[in-house]
Amino acid sequence: MSEARAGDVDLPATPPISPRRTALARVASILRPMVRFIGAENLSLVIVLAIEIAVIVSQTKFFLGQQNLLNSLGQNIAVLGVLAVGESMVIIAGALDISVGSIAGIAGVAAALVVTGTGSMPLGLLAGILAGICAGLVNGSIVAFLRVNPIIATLGTFAAFRGIAFLIAPNGYPVGVGTQPDFTWLGSGRILGSASFVGIPIILIILILVAIVGHVLLRYTDFGRSIYALGGNATAARLAGINLSRVRLGMYVFSGIAAGLAGVLLAARTTSGSPLNGQGMELQAITAVFLGGAATTGGKGTVVGTILAVLILGILSNGMNLLGVQQYWQDVATGMLLVTGVAVAQFRALRSERARTRIASRG
Amino acid sequence: MSLPASTQPHAVPVPSPGLEIRGVSKAFPNVQALNDVSLDVQPGEIVAFLGENGAGKSTLLKIINGDYQPDAGTLTLNGQALRFANPLEAHRAGIRVIYQEPEIIPGVDVAENIYVGELPRRGGFVDRRLLETRVRADLDRYGFSAVLPMGLMGDMLSPAQRQLVEIMRAIKSNVRVLALDEPTSSLTDDEVHRLFTLVRRLRDEGVAIIYVSHRIREILQLADRVAILRDGSLIAVRPAPDLTEADIVRLMVGRDLSAVLQRRRAVTDRVVLRAEHITSNWHHDVSFLVHAGEVVGFAGLVGAGRTELAKVVFGELPRDSGSVFVDERLVSIHRPSDAVAEGIGYAPEDRKREGLILMRSVLENASLAVLRRLSRFHFIQRGLERRLAGEYVERLRVRTPSLEQEVGKLSGGNQQKVVLARWLAAKPKVLILDEPTRGIDVGAKAEIYHLIDDLANQGLGVMFISSDLPEILGLSDRIYVMQNGRISGEMPGPGATEEKVLALAMADHLSRADPEHQSAAPAEGLPG
Repeated sequence: MSEARAGDVDLPATPPISPRRTALARVASILRPMVRFIGAENLSLVIVLAIEIAVIVSQTKFFLGQQNLLNSLGQNIAVLGVLAVGESMVIIAGALDISVGSIAGIAGVAAALVVTGTGSMPLGLLAGILAGICAGLVNGSIVAFLRVNPIIATLGTFAAFRGIAFLIAPNGYPVGVGTQPDFTWLGSGRILGSASFVGIPIILIILILVAIVGHVLLRYTDFGRSIYALGGNATAARLAGINLSRVRLGMYVFSGIAAGLAGVLLAARTTSGSPLNGQGMELQAITAVFLGGAATTGGKGTVVGTILAVLILGILSNGMNLLGVQQYWQDVATGMLLVTGVAVAQFRALRSERARTRIASRG
Repeated sequence: MSLPASTQPHAVPVPSPGLEIRGVSKAFPNVQALNDVSLDVQPGEIVAFLGENGAGKSTLLKIINGDYQPDAGTLTLNGQALRFANPLEAHRAGIRVIYQEPEIIPGVDVAENIYVGELPRRGGFVDRRLLETRVRADLDRYGFSAVLPMGLMGDMLSPAQRQLVEIMRAIKSNVRVLALDEPTSSLTDDEVHRLFTLVRRLRDEGVAIIYVSHRIREILQLADRVAILRDGSLIAVRPAPDLTEADIVRLMVGRDLSAVLQRRRAVTDRVVLRAEHITSNWHHDVSFLVHAGEVVGFAGLVGAGRTELAKVVFGELPRDSGSVFVDERLVSIHRPSDAVAEGIGYAPEDRKREGLILMRSVLENASLAVLRRLSRFHFIQRGLERRLAGEYVERLRVRTPSLEQEVGKLSGGNQQKVVLARWLAAKPKVLILDEPTRGIDVGAKAEIYHLIDDLANQGLGVMFISSDLPEILGLSDRIYVMQNGRISGEMPGPGATEEKVLALAMADHLSRADPEHQSAAPAEGLPG
């Protein structure tokens, strides 16, 4: 292939170069890597986010305060963000994991039990993640080997895992971890704090790490490629020699790990390993992934998009809280945002589909 | 039909023009499907349409049925011009095309299936008694009461019964032109016999009948006249009694591709792929082998089991028994990933549904079969990937603005080349190509022929499935002919003729049932 790529075409190639053009080119050369990282398909999310922030900032001065940004917002989106990164993997592969909220419930109880038993935060964390791995293996096996439709499979485990969370909790009661400062540090601790700076929440750092892992897995590994291929066209992926059972198992395990970690963080933040933890969060996570540009049919979507969507949803809720809008209105706004976002994406897909058929009919 | 059979003896031709097709042409992107076809089908006669795969039979039927509109030409029925926007208008005009898979409503019984859309009603409810009286009368008249119980539910019907339901629908609505598209392909001998009786009876009642089939023997038994199509043109229309099987085969074949084909290769003795006694849902005891450096053509009609054979060998479809050897080593293949690991590649027939991830880039599609090899600790080495994909994309001259282009936005020929690039990058020992030139333009076809030749020359074994006989003959070193899930013959490529291949491919089931016919089926007696 020649080295000239479509992306380079807008660069001026021949002299004379006017000063204005070079300035533009310099801006472009700075912007291009950023756009490439965010992904052209996610630009509309960035625009929505910018508009949202502008509207909120114009209405309240509290939004931009450190306390609000790092505490209220940063800590609130972290659990949802971790769940949504795991869910992205599954949805991009053309499947669904409805059980993530229930897995978080099990993991929270398991972690709380281990922490109160041993007093060791790392062991508690490990217990939560192990619970997530087991749950993911169950989901993955049902889908990959028993060939049950992913929606049905995880709808089943959605109920079953919640039941298990109650069964392992002593008498079904929450396990308090308020006496374990090491463990609650995961949920509400900060680092780099000073007199003028509230510090970066640990939970936000964990979200960033999970997002990076998810992004790298999807974008730079053979596993990630296989996930896009499976979601884009399962038959073609299989006929190209990809072992789909392995991919399905892997993605549910990843989603399980993320859910397990989210469960631990939730227990640490609420100082309680409650079997009710995470209820309803599966739907928020799925909402974020679809708002983040994942295709319902699979094959499309990015972790960056999901994180942007989590930010949009988090800021929406945070901003409305600051402005004193009733919770019910927030729910209405979230719903409208999802439907509008997907409708716009559908419209754009339809347009590019038309362009494609035009090309095809031209031969 | 309302007329009793006795008033319309078919021997006396009715002086009515029937269906007249005049100068009909139809083009699709890259192919002229029909070219100036003119033909009459008179009431009370059976005209058979014959031709190779892709000769234009189906397109013509679809134009008659109103599925397609002709680019040029006219249809008239009894002197009235016809122009259908859709099949419903064709039905109203008294024209019915019965396809191989009629639409049957599964949860509804035979009687209601026949009268679907026009159920007799009384006071808002279905008048079940009137319905049953009518259906029983129709079934009795044609002697089908025993074969087609009217209370049977739609999803319980055999293929033959489904066709009967569809034919009954046509009869009920006073059909004047009835076309049957390969009606016997899934019927037993007894059912074929019964169908023939029905078709003859309808003819005698004055229906104009078009009968499309690959089975020459059947056609000679049934048809009054035979129309032969080739490459979208009507080659000949002759009274059936004047034709022999050999005449028909000779008229069907005869395209020449020598200009775009070349062959320079050195077949080795090394067997790269050997399949022994493969038996599956689709096959009975199929054995074949492919040498390194050899192009092995698999010819046969649509439905002979060639694609399924490729998929069984590749592990996509299950097999009941039989073994597969790669480089003379027994391999166990349970799924396509096993086959790929053993060095087999498969470029499927339906590239959009089975070959490509249309929404992903050329790069990702081209490297899909070699992800493992491109990765170190599961991380894809992106520079290596670009170089490899780029190399084959360039070598195959895939016309794409960049490696990042979505594959779905390329033309058919270029999409096919991306599939091929994927397998070339994987460097398999055996490559299975399933209809690699279907639906692509002539220029891209020539490039793919070149490529196949190149690959064989470099020592790859190629299993080449194609329904295009001239390309099979032009490219193959050896040819297997498949028919009905078996290999009905094998011959060296050089010296093979379309007549020989077609005779084996069409050795129809009448001859299979009779061992004496079996030995007579091969093409010795046919002129070549």
